[in-house]
Amino acid sequence: MTDSAAVRATVLEILSDVLAEPVDALREAPVLGAHHWDSITSLEALVQLEDRLGVTLDLRTYHDARDVDDLADLVLAARRTNPAPARL
Amino acid sequence: MKRDVNDAAVLLATLRAAVDSHHSPDPATRQALAELDDPAALRTAGRILADLRPEDGELRPVRMAVLATFTVGPFVHLLRAALVGAGALPSIDVGCYGAFEVSLATHEYAAGGDPDVVVCLLADSYFASADWRPTDIPALLAHLDAQATRLRDLILSSAECTTATLVVHTVPLPAELRDSVVAWRDRAAVAAGWHRMNAAILELAAAHPQVAVVDLVSLLADAPAAARDDRLHRYADLPYTDQTLALLAQQVRRVAQAPLGLSRRVLALDLDNTLWGGVVGEVGAEGVQLGGLYPGNCYTHLQRTAARLRDQGIVLVLASKNDADLVDRALAGNPEMVLRAEAFSARAVNWSPKAGNLRQMAATLGLSTGSFVFLDDSPFECGHVRAELPEVAVVCAPGDPAHLTRSLLRHGWFDTLDLTDADRHRPELYRARSLRVEHSAGYASTPDFLHTLAIEVSAAPVTGYTVPRVAQLAARTNQFNLTGVRFDTPTTATMADSAHHMVAAFSVVDRFGDEGIVGAVWVDVAPPVWRIRNAVLSCRVLGRGIEFAIVEWVARQARVAGASRLAARFVPTDRNGAADGFLDKAGFAVGADGWAELDLADYSDNLPTWIKLREEQQ
Repeated sequence: MTDSAAVRATVLEILSDVLAEPVDALREAPVLGAHHWDSITSLEALVQLEDRLGVTLDLRTYHDARDVDDLADLVLAARRTNPAPARL
Repeated sequence: MKRDVNDAAVLLATLRAAVDSHHSPDPATRQALAELDDPAALRTAGRILADLRPEDGELRPVRMAVLATFTVGPFVHLLRAALVGAGALPSIDVGCYGAFEVSLATHEYAAGGDPDVVVCLLADSYFASADWRPTDIPALLAHLDAQATRLRDLILSSAECTTATLVVHTVPLPAELRDSVVAWRDRAAVAAGWHRMNAAILELAAAHPQVAVVDLVSLLADAPAAARDDRLHRYADLPYTDQTLALLAQQVRRVAQAPLGLSRRVLALDLDNTLWGGVVGEVGAEGVQLGGLYPGNCYTHLQRTAARLRDQGIVLVLASKNDADLVDRALAGNPEMVLRAEAFSARAVNWSPKAGNLRQMAATLGLSTGSFVFLDDSPFECGHVRAELPEVAVVCAPGDPAHLTRSLLRHGWFDTLDLTDADRHRPELYRARSLRVEHSAGYASTPDFLHTLAIEVSAAPVTGYTVPRVAQLAARTNQFNLTGVRFDTPTTATMADSAHHMVAAFSVVDRFGDEGIVGAVWVDVAPPVWRIRNAVLSCRVLGRGIEFAIVEWVARQARVAGASRLAARFVPTDRNGAADGFLDKAGFAVGADGWAELDLADYSDNLPTWIKLREEQQ
């Protein structure tokens, strides 16, 4: 699995855990607003994404993310800027 | 130690399976949960456990309310995970955002009446106003003092109106406040004022018996994570990181566990490379590492810590695979030894498996293995005890002995709200019990043996001094617990002050020593019927007929007060089989609504002949 694919899989896994939705459900309906994406769950996801993937995300762009792919792209961009160990 | 994500994944899957099957998580899973440090995994665990509805009654129900001066965020999930890890089944109500003071002032903490615990979460914004000015430090300090006083008044007036334990905590000085002051002298003044504010919070513990204070500031000094993430703070009014909230949740668990009877009372200690360095069988009694410089000082420090635990009522026992003679020589002869042989209430020094030895020592002491903590440096021995006795809290401390003491203490297995006299004397009591068991081996029949003990039972209505011990008995007694109702300290105190109730404490002395208060009874006094709401008797004194002396005393009191009947009932729990059938043996006849009754007009003395009952009239 490429690093990009591994990151996308980890992002999905984290969102599945935080939003209590199966991974397949998030693949089918990737728009975050379609799930319980509120201030608390979004921050829980932020903390987990940063911890697991070794990145620091800007909260402003983070909250602009509309769907799962947007979040994965943000994480990948942050990893390119500042590569750090991740638990993929 | 941080568990890796794969271990956490297994743990979470096990929790999901327990929730789906309506079972309590098993003891091994609960211990893994209690030791889990990863806040993300704890948060997920807490979310999974929100649906936990076990049908087995293994967990102790506890009602919690959470009030906060900020967004509670993940705290509820973290708290739930911590409590289930300790063996509790929590229901948690959360106060409305922005209603911290109103909830405290109106005493409306939870739907359905008083909870057992009210957690009051505090942030710096409660104490420091947003518009403080660095050019007027005295005004800032005065404001801190005023807010601390305001909090004190709120907490103490709330405590007067509830039976719940209120938990508050100290608050770290935020960096932005500290560093906004550029003059070092003024910065020191601000810090001093902040410390005074935290000292005022800490003093609440001494001001009211229902207030417990967590020193979050000192905990954070040991925590490997930042207290605050500015983004979470600014975006969602979350002043604490998940790690900090997890620390607080663990502390609240430690406050709640003692009244629920979930604290441990026995510390079983390994010897080689745990209480001393090296293997005594190889290096001899003189060769073990103890005292002096590293690493001997690590073992000395652990011994001193164990001795301090013993001073506070923790029963020490030895569980070591060794030759007993050699161990005796080391315990008696090594001049650096802090814990001598008499420090241990029971000893299993042999070559048998440790799990069996722990089981046997528990039987000798009359305690369950669920009240044991086992400390050993060997992963093999720890694994074996975990597998055989999952209810034992196993502290595995391999590697550098510098970590021994911290490993033993960090999870707070022994925490209690207050120490009672019985706590302080417990190690001697259990040592006497061991001697009593040896003595009993020489008698043909139980009554013959019991007559030689010269048992005296003293009974008296509870006082302010004995209420905490009686409530502790209610929390901890599982076997002879007539109805399973656990009257806590505030309720017991209220009943003791009421003309419509009576609460009495029973203590026992025999030829081997003073057992202290070992029994209690809670009674509704409403002539012509006195109704026993619950009676408990410590497992330490089971099998001596003390329970008959309790009924005898209550019956005499009721008759003197003009009652014609004494009513009681047995309500089965998962562990009170020892009390099953007792009412029948004590002469109670089946009455209405599940209550059994003793006709006091026809009642004749049912006191065992080997017991002398010392009566104190109400």
